[in-house]
Amino acid sequence: MRENDEHTQNWKLSDDIKTGFTVPENYFKGIEDDFSLNLIEEKLPKNNVFEIPKTYFEELDHHIIEKIKPKKGKILNFKKIKLIPVAATIALIIFFGTNFLLNNNSELSYDEIVNWVDMNINTISSDDITIAFTDVNFDDINPYVTIKSEDIIESLINSDDIDFLIEEANINEIN
Amino acid sequence: MIDEIALVEELQNIQTKEKAFRILIKEYKERLYWHIRKIVISHDDADDVLQNTFIKVFKGIDNFKQESKLYSWMYRIATNESITFINKRARERNIDITEMKQKLVSNLESDKWFSGNDIEIILQEAVATLPEKQQLVFNMKYFNHMKYQQISDILDTSVGGLKASYFHAVKKIELYIKKKTH
Repeated sequence: MRENDEHTQNWKLSDDIKTGFTVPENYFKGIEDDFSLNLIEEKLPKNNVFEIPKTYFEELDHHIIEKIKPKKGKILNFKKIKLIPVAATIALIIFFGTNFLLNNNSELSYDEIVNWVDMNINTISSDDITIAFTDVNFDDINPYVTIKSEDIIESLINSDDIDFLIEEANINEIN
Repeated sequence: MIDEIALVEELQNIQTKEKAFRILIKEYKERLYWHIRKIVISHDDADDVLQNTFIKVFKGIDNFKQESKLYSWMYRIATNESITFINKRARERNIDITEMKQKLVSNLESDKWFSGNDIEIILQEAVATLPEKQQLVFNMKYFNHMKYQQISDILDTSVGGLKASYFHAVKKIELYIKKKTH
């Protein structure tokens, strides 16, 4: 017996000797959680039960490409806004605002447009407008529209806010 | 496997943009579709959201600075578009988003593009009860078989946080299913 005890003792490592191996923090707790998860996952349905029309993916590319192609008509270069006096820009806002109000599909309020353009007048790009106003269907309002300066001036003259606009234009000149 | 950096360069070049965009659609349409579909449930709605996602990608690609991977950026747009879609529907009906998601699931039984049985409907109901983040993590991990690191790149959440989210999501789903089936 004693021999066996000694033999066993020779195989037993001293508690003071470290193996040199380490594990990540919470590793063993993680194993328990993973095992628990696996057991639950095994019981859950795994089939993809959502179906699609047979030719859906084949036809999809065409639909998307059609939507990104510029519509026929005039092109509005939003960068030109920087060169148009503030008063004329406000006329553009009135133009788009009217368009939004008449278009029942849009949830964007007129005030939201005015506030946004006012704050970002120096940095407006067409990407900003399309990305910022996610609820607006730009196809409906045809954003690629050129407005001639004569049209803008005529709009200004006919505007109810002509006095305010003239004042804004004067301020812009001074600056 | 496409070369993302080269593809982004072509997408940001006006001469090659459309051709590169067609490649992009071909490469990512299915993955994005199934990601969106799991969130919005209906095929027709997923189709709308997917097309809007690609249009947003096309319009925003010039400003893409490659601070993240292209697919992570696109998945984020797809996720945001899906959530925006559901929020909009909820607002139109004057109900909260959780109720809206449950409404979407309740239409599954009569949905011609759903072939699941009762237990599979219960699973979808259970997923719809989860908080938004847990739902996203569960869909991406369980249904889309994405790795935690991929999910982390898209949702901008640590892998540890995602593991915790997934664990809680699965536990809640198990509890929901047990209640419904007993």
